[in-house]
Amino acid sequence: MVVAWATLRRSWLVTRRAYPWSYFIGTLLLGVFTMGVAYLGLRAIAGDQVSAEFAGRAGTADYLGYIAVGATAYMFVVHGILWIGKALIQEQREGTMGALVVAPARRLPYLLGFAAFAFTAVALEVAVLLGFALLLGVRPTATGAVDAVLAVAALALAVFGMSVVLSNVMIVAGEAHITQNTVFQAMAVLSGFTFPRDYLPEALRWLGELIPITAAMDVIRGVFTAGTGLDPARLGVAALIGFGYAAAGLLTMPWAERRAMERSF
Amino acid sequence: MIETVHLRKEFGTKVAVHDLNLTVPLGRVTGLLGLNGAGKTTTIKILATLLRQTSGTVSVGGLDPVRQPRAVRRRINLIAGGERMVYARMTGRENLWYFGQLYDVPGRVLRPRVAELLDLVGLAEAADTRVERYSRGMAQRLSIARGLVNDPDYLLLDEPTLGLDAPIARDLRRVVAALAERGKGVLLTSHYLAEVEQLCAHVYVIGDGRHLAEGTPAELVAQSGCHRTVRVAVVELTPRVEAAARAFAPAVRIAPGGVVELSGPGDVAGALTSTIIEAGGALKGLEIAEPTLEDAILALNDRPAAVIA
Repeated sequence: MVVAWATLRRSWLVTRRAYPWSYFIGTLLLGVFTMGVAYLGLRAIAGDQVSAEFAGRAGTADYLGYIAVGATAYMFVVHGILWIGKALIQEQREGTMGALVVAPARRLPYLLGFAAFAFTAVALEVAVLLGFALLLGVRPTATGAVDAVLAVAALALAVFGMSVVLSNVMIVAGEAHITQNTVFQAMAVLSGFTFPRDYLPEALRWLGELIPITAAMDVIRGVFTAGTGLDPARLGVAALIGFGYAAAGLLTMPWAERRAMERSF
Repeated sequence: MIETVHLRKEFGTKVAVHDLNLTVPLGRVTGLLGLNGAGKTTTIKILATLLRQTSGTVSVGGLDPVRQPRAVRRRINLIAGGERMVYARMTGRENLWYFGQLYDVPGRVLRPRVAELLDLVGLAEAADTRVERYSRGMAQRLSIARGLVNDPDYLLLDEPTLGLDAPIARDLRRVVAALAERGKGVLLTSHYLAEVEQLCAHVYVIGDGRHLAEGTPAELVAQSGCHRTVRVAVVELTPRVEAAARAFAPAVRIAPGGVVELSGPGDVAGALTSTIIEAGGALKGLEIAEPTLEDAILALNDRPAAVIA
Protein backbone atom coordinates (compact mmCIF):
# COMPACT_ATOMS: atom_id res chain seq x y z
CA MET A 1 0.00 0.00 0.00
CA VAL A 2 3.08 2.23 0.01
CA VAL A 3 2.58 2.79 -3.71
CA ALA A 4 -1.13 3.60 -3.23
CA TRP A 5 -0.30 6.20 -0.57
CA ALA A 6 2.53 7.69 -2.66
CA THR A 7 0.26 7.90 -5.71
CA LEU A 8 -2.50 9.53 -3.65
CA ARG A 9 -0.01 12.13 -2.43
CA ARG A 10 1.33 12.65 -5.94
CA SER A 11 -2.21 13.17 -7.29
CA TRP A 12 -2.95 15.70 -4.57
CA LEU A 13 0.24 17.68 -5.29
CA VAL A 14 -0.26 17.66 -9.04
CA THR A 15 -3.97 18.50 -8.95
CA ARG A 16 -3.51 21.33 -6.46
CA ARG A 17 -0.86 22.85 -8.72
CA ALA A 18 -2.56 22.18 -12.06
CA TYR A 19 -6.12 23.16 -11.14
CA PRO A 20 -6.16 25.23 -7.94
CA TRP A 21 -9.97 25.80 -8.08
CA SER A 22 -10.99 25.72 -11.70
CA TYR A 23 -11.25 21.93 -11.93
CA PHE A 24 -13.45 21.72 -8.84
CA ILE A 25 -15.78 24.47 -10.01
CA GLY A 26 -15.90 23.25 -13.60
CA THR A 27 -16.84 19.72 -12.67
CA LEU A 28 -19.38 20.84 -10.10
CA LEU A 29 -21.24 22.94 -12.65
CA LEU A 30 -22.26 19.81 -14.56
CA GLY A 31 -24.24 18.50 -11.60
CA VAL A 32 -25.63 21.92 -10.73
CA PHE A 33 -26.86 22.47 -14.29
CA THR A 34 -28.42 19.01 -14.40
CA MET A 35 -30.27 19.72 -11.17
CA GLY A 36 -31.19 23.24 -12.27
CA VAL A 37 -32.59 22.12 -15.64
CA ALA A 38 -34.61 19.37 -13.94
CA TYR A 39 -35.99 21.90 -11.45
CA LEU A 40 -36.98 24.39 -14.17
CA GLY A 41 -38.49 21.63 -16.30
CA LEU A 42 -40.58 20.33 -13.42
CA ARG A 43 -41.82 23.82 -12.51
CA ALA A 44 -42.21 25.39 -15.97
CA ILE A 45 -43.19 22.47 -18.16
CA ALA A 46 -44.70 19.80 -15.95
CA GLY A 47 -46.34 22.23 -13.53
CA ASP A 48 -44.98 20.29 -10.57
CA GLN A 49 -46.88 17.21 -11.73
CA VAL A 50 -45.24 13.78 -12.07
CA SER A 51 -47.08 11.11 -13.99
CA ALA A 52 -48.25 7.96 -12.24
CA GLU A 53 -46.30 5.96 -14.81
CA PHE A 54 -43.04 7.68 -13.85
CA ALA A 55 -43.78 7.26 -10.14
CA GLY A 56 -44.51 3.60 -10.69
CA ARG A 57 -41.36 2.94 -12.65
CA ALA A 58 -39.06 5.12 -10.54
CA GLY A 59 -40.52 3.95 -7.22
CA THR A 60 -41.04 7.56 -6.15
CA ALA A 61 -43.06 10.60 -7.10
CA ASP A 62 -40.27 12.90 -5.94
CA TYR A 63 -38.82 13.79 -9.36
CA LEU A 64 -36.25 16.25 -8.03
CA GLY A 65 -35.07 13.71 -5.46
CA TYR A 66 -34.77 11.15 -8.27
CA ILE A 67 -32.73 13.57 -10.39
CA ALA A 68 -30.59 14.66 -7.43
CA VAL A 69 -29.55 11.08 -6.73
CA GLY A 70 -28.96 10.41 -10.44
CA ALA A 71 -26.97 13.60 -11.05
CA THR A 72 -24.86 13.02 -7.95
CA ALA A 73 -24.19 9.41 -8.92
CA TYR A 74 -23.38 10.41 -12.49
CA MET A 75 -20.85 12.98 -11.27
CA PHE A 76 -19.35 10.35 -8.97
CA VAL A 77 -19.03 7.89 -11.85
CA VAL A 78 -17.76 10.32 -14.49
CA HIS A 79 -15.17 11.93 -12.27
CA GLY A 80 -14.05 8.58 -10.91
CA ILE A 81 -13.50 7.27 -14.45
CA LEU A 82 -11.76 10.48 -15.50
CA TRP A 83 -9.28 10.16 -12.66
CA ILE A 84 -8.68 6.41 -12.55
CA GLY A 85 -9.27 5.45 -16.16
CA LYS A 86 -7.15 8.24 -17.57
CA ALA A 87 -4.22 7.77 -15.19
CA LEU A 88 -2.14 5.67 -17.57
CA ILE A 89 -2.85 7.61 -20.74
CA GLN A 90 -1.89 10.73 -18.83
CA GLU A 91 1.46 9.05 -18.09
CA GLN A 92 1.76 8.29 -21.79
CA ARG A 93 1.10 11.91 -22.72
CA GLU A 94 3.48 13.25 -20.08
CA GLY A 95 6.29 10.96 -21.27
CA THR A 96 6.48 9.16 -17.92
CA MET A 97 4.92 5.84 -18.90
CA GLY A 98 8.28 4.19 -19.60
CA ALA A 99 9.58 5.24 -16.19
CA LEU A 100 6.43 3.88 -14.54
CA VAL A 101 6.38 0.58 -16.41
CA VAL A 102 10.08 -0.10 -15.84
CA ALA A 103 9.51 0.19 -12.07
CA PRO A 104 8.51 -3.00 -10.22
CA ALA A 105 5.42 -1.49 -8.55
CA ARG A 106 2.19 -3.35 -9.27
CA ARG A 107 -0.56 -1.54 -11.08
CA LEU A 108 -3.33 -2.35 -8.55
CA PRO A 109 -1.96 -0.18 -5.70
CA TYR A 110 -1.05 2.51 -8.21
CA LEU A 111 -4.64 2.66 -9.46
CA LEU A 112 -6.01 2.37 -5.92
CA GLY A 113 -4.01 5.49 -5.09
CA PHE A 114 -5.75 7.32 -7.92
CA ALA A 115 -9.09 5.87 -6.79
CA ALA A 116 -8.54 7.07 -3.21
CA PHE A 117 -7.80 10.56 -4.48
CA ALA A 118 -10.68 10.51 -6.95
CA PHE A 119 -13.28 9.39 -4.43
CA THR A 120 -12.03 11.90 -1.84
CA ALA A 121 -12.25 14.74 -4.36
CA VAL A 122 -15.64 13.55 -5.60
CA ALA A 123 -16.97 13.30 -2.02
CA LEU A 124 -16.38 17.04 -1.65
CA GLU A 125 -18.16 17.72 -4.93
CA VAL A 126 -21.04 15.46 -3.90
CA ALA A 127 -21.39 17.37 -0.62
CA VAL A 128 -21.64 20.69 -2.47
CA LEU A 129 -24.07 19.29 -5.01
CA LEU A 130 -26.31 17.84 -2.32
CA GLY A 131 -26.21 21.24 -0.62
CA PHE A 132 -27.52 22.76 -3.87
CA ALA A 133 -30.22 20.06 -4.01
CA LEU A 134 -31.27 20.96 -0.46
CA LEU A 135 -31.72 24.57 -1.60
CA LEU A 136 -34.10 23.31 -4.29
CA GLY A 137 -36.13 21.52 -1.67
CA VAL A 138 -34.81 18.00 -2.11
CA ARG A 139 -34.65 15.98 1.10
CA PRO A 140 -32.24 13.05 0.54
CA THR A 141 -33.06 9.87 2.44
CA ALA A 142 -31.59 6.40 2.70
CA THR A 143 -33.03 3.15 4.00
CA GLY A 144 -30.17 2.76 6.46
CA ALA A 145 -26.52 3.61 7.04
CA VAL A 146 -25.30 0.10 6.19
CA ASP A 147 -27.45 0.07 3.06
CA ALA A 148 -26.05 3.44 2.05
CA VAL A 149 -22.42 2.40 2.60
CA LEU A 150 -22.87 -0.85 0.68
CA ALA A 151 -24.66 0.89 -2.18
CA VAL A 152 -21.94 3.53 -2.54
CA ALA A 153 -19.26 0.82 -2.24
CA ALA A 154 -20.93 -1.12 -5.06
CA LEU A 155 -20.91 1.99 -7.25
CA ALA A 156 -17.27 2.70 -6.37
CA LEU A 157 -16.29 -0.88 -7.25
CA ALA A 158 -18.15 -0.60 -10.55
CA VAL A 159 -16.35 2.67 -11.32
CA PHE A 160 -12.99 1.12 -10.47
CA GLY A 161 -13.57 -2.01 -12.56
CA MET A 162 -14.77 -0.02 -15.51
CA SER A 163 -11.87 2.43 -15.21
CA VAL A 164 -9.28 -0.34 -15.31
CA VAL A 165 -10.74 -1.73 -18.52
CA LEU A 166 -11.10 1.74 -20.06
CA SER A 167 -7.53 2.51 -19.08
CA ASN A 168 -6.35 -0.40 -21.23
CA VAL A 169 -8.54 0.66 -24.15
CA MET A 170 -7.24 4.22 -23.98
CA ILE A 171 -3.52 3.37 -23.91
CA VAL A 172 -3.86 0.79 -26.68
CA ALA A 173 -5.90 3.17 -28.86
CA GLY A 174 -3.73 6.13 -27.86
CA GLU A 175 -6.72 8.38 -27.28
CA ALA A 176 -9.09 9.18 -24.46
CA HIS A 177 -11.78 11.59 -25.62
CA ILE A 178 -13.71 9.37 -28.02
CA THR A 179 -13.51 6.42 -25.64
CA GLN A 180 -14.61 8.27 -22.53
CA ASN A 181 -17.36 10.28 -24.21
CA THR A 182 -18.82 7.19 -25.87
CA VAL A 183 -18.91 5.41 -22.53
CA PHE A 184 -20.35 8.41 -20.71
CA GLN A 185 -23.14 8.77 -23.28
CA ALA A 186 -23.91 5.06 -23.17
CA MET A 187 -24.07 5.13 -19.37
CA ALA A 188 -26.27 8.22 -19.35
CA VAL A 189 -28.80 6.42 -21.52
CA LEU A 190 -28.53 2.84 -20.30
CA SER A 191 -27.67 2.94 -16.60
CA GLY A 192 -30.64 4.68 -14.99
CA PHE A 193 -29.18 8.04 -14.00
CA THR A 194 -31.89 10.39 -15.25
CA PHE A 195 -34.89 8.17 -16.04
CA PRO A 196 -36.03 4.68 -15.02
CA ARG A 197 -34.52 1.94 -17.17
CA ASP A 198 -37.99 0.44 -17.56
CA TYR A 199 -38.62 3.07 -20.25
CA LEU A 200 -35.92 1.49 -22.44
CA PRO A 201 -36.62 -1.26 -24.99
CA GLU A 202 -35.72 -4.67 -23.61
CA ALA A 203 -32.67 -5.06 -25.88
CA LEU A 204 -31.19 -1.82 -24.54
CA ARG A 205 -31.92 -2.86 -20.97
CA TRP A 206 -29.88 -6.02 -21.53
CA LEU A 207 -27.15 -3.99 -23.20
CA GLY A 208 -27.07 -1.83 -20.08
CA GLU A 209 -26.38 -4.92 -18.00
CA LEU A 210 -22.95 -5.16 -19.66
CA ILE A 211 -22.00 -1.90 -17.95
CA PRO A 212 -21.06 -2.57 -14.31
CA ILE A 213 -22.50 0.79 -13.31
CA THR A 214 -26.04 -0.32 -14.20
CA ALA A 215 -26.49 -2.95 -11.49
CA ALA A 216 -24.82 -0.64 -8.95
CA MET A 217 -27.26 2.14 -9.90
CA ASP A 218 -30.18 -0.22 -9.28
CA VAL A 219 -28.80 -0.74 -5.78
CA ILE A 220 -28.39 3.02 -5.33
CA ARG A 221 -31.97 3.60 -6.48
CA GLY A 222 -33.37 1.05 -4.05
CA VAL A 223 -31.55 2.62 -1.10
CA PHE A 224 -31.73 6.35 -1.93
CA THR A 225 -34.74 6.76 -4.22
CA ALA A 226 -37.40 4.05 -4.02
CA GLY A 227 -36.95 3.30 -0.32
CA THR A 228 -37.09 -0.43 -0.96
CA GLY A 229 -33.73 -1.01 0.73
CA LEU A 230 -30.73 -2.98 -0.35
CA ASP A 231 -31.42 -5.46 -3.14
CA PRO A 232 -29.04 -8.36 -2.36
CA ALA A 233 -29.43 -9.88 -5.83
CA ARG A 234 -28.51 -6.66 -7.64
CA LEU A 235 -25.75 -5.99 -5.11
CA GLY A 236 -24.33 -9.43 -5.89
CA VAL A 237 -24.53 -8.77 -9.63
CA ALA A 238 -22.88 -5.36 -9.19
CA ALA A 239 -20.06 -6.85 -7.10
CA LEU A 240 -19.57 -9.74 -9.52
CA ILE A 241 -19.42 -7.54 -12.62
CA GLY A 242 -17.29 -4.90 -10.85
CA PHE A 243 -14.74 -7.46 -9.67
CA GLY A 244 -14.87 -9.17 -13.06
CA TYR A 245 -14.07 -5.97 -14.91
CA ALA A 246 -11.29 -5.08 -12.45
CA ALA A 247 -9.74 -8.55 -12.66
CA ALA A 248 -9.96 -8.68 -16.45
CA GLY A 249 -8.49 -5.20 -16.73
CA LEU A 250 -5.60 -5.89 -14.38
CA LEU A 251 -4.79 -9.22 -16.03
CA THR A 252 -4.67 -7.69 -19.50
CA MET A 253 -2.89 -4.51 -18.43
CA PRO A 254 0.68 -5.80 -19.04
CA TRP A 255 -0.34 -6.66 -22.60
CA ALA A 256 -1.98 -3.23 -23.05
CA GLU A 257 1.11 -1.50 -21.71
CA ARG A 258 3.35 -3.37 -24.12
CA ARG A 259 1.06 -2.47 -27.01
CA ALA A 260 1.18 1.15 -25.88
CA MET A 261 4.98 1.04 -25.76
CA GLU A 262 5.08 -0.54 -29.22
CA ARG A 263 2.88 2.18 -30.66
CA SER A 264 5.64 4.68 -30.07
CA PHE A 265 7.96 2.81 -32.48
CA MET B 1 25.21 -10.59 -16.70
CA ILE B 2 22.63 -9.55 -19.27
CA GLU B 3 22.56 -11.96 -22.19
CA THR B 4 20.46 -12.16 -25.33
CA VAL B 5 20.49 -15.23 -27.55
CA HIS B 6 19.06 -15.11 -31.07
CA LEU B 7 16.94 -12.11 -30.08
CA ARG B 8 14.34 -11.15 -32.65
CA LYS B 9 11.65 -8.48 -32.55
CA GLU B 10 9.02 -7.88 -35.18
CA PHE B 11 6.57 -4.98 -35.39
CA GLY B 12 3.99 -6.29 -37.82
CA THR B 13 5.90 -7.01 -41.02
CA LYS B 14 8.95 -4.96 -39.99
CA VAL B 15 11.76 -6.85 -38.31
CA ALA B 16 13.45 -4.43 -35.92
CA VAL B 17 15.95 -6.87 -34.39
CA HIS B 18 17.35 -9.94 -36.17
CA ASP B 19 19.03 -12.78 -34.34
CA LEU B 20 20.99 -10.57 -31.95
CA ASN B 21 23.41 -12.10 -29.44
CA LEU B 22 24.97 -9.79 -26.91
CA THR B 23 26.24 -9.85 -23.35
CA VAL B 24 26.47 -7.06 -20.82
CA PRO B 25 28.64 -8.18 -17.92
CA LEU B 26 28.81 -6.52 -14.53
CA GLY B 27 31.63 -4.06 -13.97
CA ARG B 28 31.86 -2.85 -17.56
CA VAL B 29 30.31 -0.26 -19.85
CA THR B 30 29.14 -2.00 -23.01
CA GLY B 31 28.27 0.08 -26.05
CA LEU B 32 25.50 -0.58 -28.55
CA LEU B 33 25.98 1.46 -31.69
CA GLY B 34 24.26 1.84 -35.00
CA LEU B 35 22.62 4.40 -37.23
CA ASN B 36 19.06 5.60 -36.66
CA GLY B 37 16.59 2.72 -36.99
CA ALA B 38 19.29 0.13 -36.36
CA GLY B 39 17.32 -1.44 -33.51
CA LYS B 40 19.23 -0.04 -30.52
CA THR B 41 16.26 1.43 -28.68
CA THR B 42 14.11 -1.63 -29.38
CA THR B 43 16.84 -3.85 -27.94
CA ILE B 44 17.19 -1.68 -24.85
CA LYS B 45 13.43 -1.61 -24.31
CA ILE B 46 13.26 -5.39 -24.54
CA LEU B 47 16.00 -5.65 -21.91
CA ALA B 48 14.07 -3.12 -19.78
CA THR B 49 10.91 -5.33 -19.97
CA LEU B 50 9.01 -2.58 -21.80
CA LEU B 51 8.71 -4.72 -24.92
CA ARG B 52 8.61 -8.48 -25.35
CA GLN B 53 10.76 -10.20 -27.94
CA THR B 54 9.15 -12.15 -30.79
CA SER B 55 11.65 -14.97 -30.36
CA GLY B 56 14.99 -15.69 -28.74
CA THR B 57 15.88 -15.51 -25.08
CA VAL B 58 16.88 -12.74 -22.71
CA SER B 59 18.44 -13.23 -19.31
CA VAL B 60 19.08 -10.43 -16.81
CA GLY B 61 21.23 -11.63 -13.94
CA GLY B 62 19.84 -15.12 -14.49
CA LEU B 63 16.23 -13.86 -14.51
CA ASP B 64 13.82 -14.15 -17.41
CA PRO B 65 12.17 -10.76 -18.11
CA VAL B 66 9.12 -12.49 -19.60
CA ARG B 67 8.47 -14.80 -16.65
CA GLN B 68 9.92 -12.63 -13.87
CA PRO B 69 9.44 -9.03 -15.01
CA ARG B 70 9.10 -7.58 -11.52
CA ALA B 71 12.26 -9.27 -10.26
CA VAL B 72 14.13 -7.96 -13.32
CA ARG B 73 12.77 -4.45 -12.81
CA ARG B 74 14.15 -4.37 -9.26
CA ARG B 75 17.65 -4.93 -10.65
CA ILE B 76 17.63 -2.58 -13.64
CA ASN B 77 16.80 0.97 -14.59
CA LEU B 78 16.49 2.84 -17.83
CA ILE B 79 17.53 6.35 -18.71
CA ALA B 80 16.33 7.52 -22.12
CA GLY B 81 17.67 10.87 -23.22
CA GLY B 82 14.88 11.47 -25.70
CA GLU B 83 12.09 11.10 -23.14
CA ARG B 84 11.42 13.21 -20.09
CA MET B 85 10.41 10.39 -17.73
CA VAL B 86 9.74 12.74 -14.79
CA TYR B 87 6.60 14.55 -13.64
CA ALA B 88 6.46 18.20 -14.70
CA ARG B 89 4.25 19.45 -11.88
CA MET B 90 6.34 17.89 -9.12
CA THR B 91 9.64 19.16 -7.83
CA GLY B 92 12.88 17.31 -8.38
CA ARG B 93 12.87 16.03 -4.81
CA GLU B 94 9.22 14.94 -5.01
CA ASN B 95 9.90 13.08 -8.26
CA LEU B 96 12.77 11.11 -6.75
CA TRP B 97 10.72 10.41 -3.62
CA TYR B 98 7.82 9.09 -5.72
CA PHE B 99 10.00 6.85 -7.88
CA GLY B 100 11.71 5.62 -4.71
CA GLN B 101 8.27 4.47 -3.52
CA LEU B 102 7.63 2.71 -6.83
CA TYR B 103 10.89 0.80 -6.27
CA ASP B 104 10.00 0.13 -2.61
CA VAL B 105 13.20 1.81 -1.38
CA PRO B 106 12.96 2.04 2.44
CA GLY B 107 12.50 5.57 3.77
CA ARG B 108 15.74 5.58 5.80
CA VAL B 109 17.67 4.71 2.62
CA LEU B 110 15.66 6.89 0.28
CA ARG B 111 16.04 10.22 2.07
CA PRO B 112 19.86 10.39 1.96
CA ARG B 113 19.90 8.80 -1.50
CA VAL B 114 17.61 11.50 -2.92
CA ALA B 115 19.89 14.17 -1.49
CA GLU B 116 22.99 12.43 -2.88
CA LEU B 117 21.47 12.02 -6.32
CA LEU B 118 20.30 15.62 -6.51
CA ASP B 119 23.80 16.68 -5.57
CA LEU B 120 25.32 14.28 -8.08
CA VAL B 121 23.36 15.76 -11.01
CA GLY B 122 23.84 19.33 -9.84
CA LEU B 123 20.22 19.95 -8.87
CA ALA B 124 20.61 20.39 -5.11
CA GLU B 125 19.69 24.07 -5.32
CA ALA B 126 16.72 23.40 -7.63
CA ALA B 127 15.53 20.37 -5.63
CA ASP B 128 12.33 22.09 -4.52
CA THR B 129 11.54 23.77 -7.82
CA ARG B 130 8.87 22.24 -10.04
CA VAL B 131 10.22 20.41 -13.08
CA GLU B 132 8.02 22.51 -15.42
CA ARG B 133 10.33 25.40 -14.54
CA TYR B 134 13.49 23.41 -15.27
CA SER B 135 15.45 23.83 -18.48
CA ARG B 136 15.61 20.81 -20.76
CA GLY B 137 19.06 19.98 -19.48
CA MET B 138 17.92 20.16 -15.85
CA ALA B 139 14.97 17.86 -16.55
CA GLN B 140 17.35 15.45 -18.28
CA ARG B 141 19.66 15.51 -15.27
CA LEU B 142 16.74 14.73 -13.00
CA SER B 143 15.81 11.85 -15.27
CA ILE B 144 19.34 10.51 -14.78
CA ALA B 145 18.93 10.76 -11.01
CA ARG B 146 15.62 8.91 -11.34
CA GLY B 147 17.43 6.12 -13.16
CA LEU B 148 19.74 5.68 -10.20
CA VAL B 149 17.14 5.89 -7.44
CA ASN B 150 16.91 2.10 -7.00
CA ASP B 151 20.71 1.63 -7.11
CA PRO B 152 20.30 -0.79 -10.06
CA ASP B 153 22.73 -3.61 -10.85
CA TYR B 154 22.25 -2.93 -14.55
CA LEU B 155 21.74 0.48 -16.07
CA LEU B 156 20.38 0.84 -19.58
CA LEU B 157 21.35 4.21 -21.05
CA ASP B 158 19.70 5.25 -24.30
CA GLU B 159 21.30 8.51 -25.45
CA PRO B 160 21.70 9.71 -21.85
CA THR B 161 23.59 12.91 -22.66
CA LEU B 162 21.25 14.08 -25.40
CA GLY B 163 20.66 17.79 -24.92
CA LEU B 164 23.01 18.14 -21.97
CA ASP B 165 25.52 20.96 -21.61
CA ALA B 166 29.13 19.85 -22.04
CA PRO B 167 30.12 20.11 -18.35
CA ILE B 168 27.07 18.12 -17.22
CA ALA B 169 27.63 15.52 -19.94
CA ARG B 170 31.24 15.21 -18.76
CA ASP B 171 30.07 14.76 -15.16
CA LEU B 172 27.60 12.12 -16.27
CA ARG B 173 30.35 10.24 -18.07
CA ARG B 174 32.33 10.27 -14.85
CA VAL B 175 29.32 8.89 -13.00
CA VAL B 176 28.83 6.13 -15.57
CA ALA B 177 32.50 5.17 -15.42
CA ALA B 178 32.36 5.14 -11.61
CA LEU B 179 29.24 2.95 -11.67
CA ALA B 180 31.05 0.37 -13.79
CA GLU B 181 34.04 0.51 -11.44
CA ARG B 182 31.65 -0.19 -8.56
CA GLY B 183 30.57 -3.36 -10.34
CA LYS B 184 27.44 -2.21 -12.19
CA GLY B 185 26.71 -3.45 -15.68
CA VAL B 186 25.99 -0.59 -18.08
CA LEU B 187 24.64 -0.75 -21.62
CA LEU B 188 25.06 2.54 -23.46
CA THR B 189 23.79 3.83 -26.76
CA SER B 190 24.95 7.26 -27.84
CA HIS B 191 25.36 9.33 -30.94
CA TYR B 192 28.39 10.95 -29.33
CA LEU B 193 30.99 8.44 -30.41
CA ALA B 194 33.75 10.12 -28.45
CA GLU B 195 31.65 9.30 -25.39
CA VAL B 196 31.47 5.65 -26.45
CA GLU B 197 35.21 5.51 -27.14
CA GLN B 198 35.90 7.01 -23.73
CA LEU B 199 33.55 4.79 -21.71
CA CYS B 200 33.04 1.47 -23.45
CA ALA B 201 35.35 -1.47 -23.03
CA HIS B 202 33.32 -3.46 -25.54
CA VAL B 203 31.03 -2.24 -28.31
CA TYR B 204 28.41 -3.98 -30.43
CA VAL B 205 27.60 -2.47 -33.81
CA ILE B 206 24.20 -3.23 -35.30
CA GLY B 207 22.56 -2.19 -38.53
CA ASP B 208 18.97 -2.93 -39.58
CA GLY B 209 18.68 -4.94 -36.37
CA ARG B 210 21.55 -7.25 -37.32
CA HIS B 211 24.82 -7.77 -35.51
CA LEU B 212 27.54 -6.23 -37.70
CA ALA B 213 30.62 -6.30 -35.51
CA GLU B 214 31.86 -6.21 -31.93
CA GLY B 215 35.03 -5.54 -30.03
CA THR B 216 36.91 -2.72 -28.36
CA PRO B 217 36.70 0.61 -30.18
CA ALA B 218 40.21 0.02 -31.54
CA GLU B 219 39.30 -3.47 -32.72
CA LEU B 220 36.20 -2.13 -34.46
CA VAL B 221 38.29 0.42 -36.34
CA ALA B 222 40.63 -2.37 -37.41
CA GLN B 223 37.72 -4.62 -38.44
CA SER B 224 36.11 -1.84 -40.43
CA GLY B 225 39.00 -1.66 -42.88
CA CYS B 226 39.32 2.09 -42.33
CA HIS B 227 42.89 3.44 -42.59
CA ARG B 228 44.67 6.53 -41.48
CA THR B 229 44.62 9.42 -43.93
CA VAL B 230 47.74 11.43 -44.76
CA ARG B 231 47.19 14.98 -46.05
CA VAL B 232 50.16 16.82 -47.48
CA ALA B 233 49.64 20.50 -48.31
CA VAL B 234 52.08 21.81 -50.93
CA VAL B 235 52.91 25.43 -51.70
CA GLU B 236 52.35 24.96 -55.44
CA LEU B 237 50.84 21.85 -56.98
CA THR B 238 52.80 21.60 -60.22
CA PRO B 239 51.96 18.93 -62.83
CA ARG B 240 55.28 17.21 -61.94
CA VAL B 241 54.38 17.03 -58.24
CA GLU B 242 50.88 15.75 -59.02
CA ALA B 243 52.24 13.13 -61.42
CA ALA B 244 54.78 11.97 -58.85
CA ALA B 245 52.08 11.69 -56.18
CA ARG B 246 49.80 9.70 -58.47
CA ALA B 247 52.69 7.49 -59.49
CA PHE B 248 53.39 6.85 -55.79
CA ALA B 249 49.86 5.53 -55.29
CA PRO B 250 46.98 5.53 -57.75
CA ALA B 251 44.56 6.05 -54.81
CA VAL B 252 45.97 9.52 -54.17
CA ARG B 253 43.31 12.27 -54.17
CA ILE B 254 43.98 15.91 -54.89
CA ALA B 255 41.84 18.09 -52.62
CA PRO B 256 41.14 21.79 -53.16
CA GLY B 257 44.00 24.06 -52.14
CA GLY B 258 46.67 21.74 -53.42
CA VAL B 259 46.32 19.09 -50.72
CA VAL B 260 47.47 15.60 -51.61
CA GLU B 261 45.46 12.96 -49.70
CA LEU B 262 46.11 9.28 -49.34
CA SER B 263 44.34 6.72 -47.14
CA GLY B 264 45.86 3.31 -46.68
CA PRO B 265 47.30 0.74 -44.37
CA GLY B 266 50.72 1.23 -42.83
CA ASP B 267 52.77 4.38 -42.43
CA VAL B 268 52.94 6.12 -45.81
CA ALA B 269 53.45 9.69 -44.59
CA GLY B 270 57.25 9.65 -44.82
CA ALA B 271 57.41 8.03 -48.26
CA LEU B 272 54.71 10.28 -49.72
CA THR B 273 56.29 13.53 -48.49
CA SER B 274 59.70 12.36 -49.77
CA THR B 275 58.21 11.68 -53.18
CA ILE B 276 56.64 15.15 -53.30
CA ILE B 277 59.85 16.89 -52.22
CA GLU B 278 61.92 14.91 -54.75
CA ALA B 279 59.49 16.10 -57.47
CA GLY B 280 60.27 19.73 -56.51
CA GLY B 281 57.31 20.32 -54.25
CA ALA B 282 57.57 22.51 -51.16
CA LEU B 283 55.54 21.44 -48.12
CA LYS B 284 53.40 23.85 -46.15
CA GLY B 285 51.59 21.34 -43.97
CA LEU B 286 51.28 17.68 -43.00
CA GLU B 287 48.36 16.02 -41.24
CA ILE B 288 47.92 12.38 -40.29
CA ALA B 289 44.31 11.56 -39.36
CA GLU B 290 43.70 8.28 -37.59
CA PRO B 291 40.36 6.58 -38.45
CA THR B 292 37.69 7.30 -35.85
CA LEU B 293 34.99 5.09 -34.44
CA GLU B 294 32.54 7.13 -36.50
CA ASP B 295 34.43 6.20 -39.69
CA ALA B 296 34.32 2.59 -38.57
CA ILE B 297 30.58 2.61 -37.83
CA LEU B 298 29.78 4.16 -41.20
CA ALA B 299 32.06 1.72 -42.99
CA LEU B 300 30.65 -1.29 -41.14
CA ASN B 301 27.13 -0.17 -41.85
CA ASP B 302 27.86 0.14 -45.57
CA ARG B 303 29.25 -3.37 -45.81
CA PRO B 304 27.01 -6.36 -46.46
CA ALA B 305 26.49 -8.54 -43.39
CA ALA B 306 27.99 -11.54 -45.17
CA VAL B 307 31.27 -9.72 -45.72
CA ILE B 308 31.50 -8.73 -42.05
CA ALA B 309 30.69 -12.25 -40.88
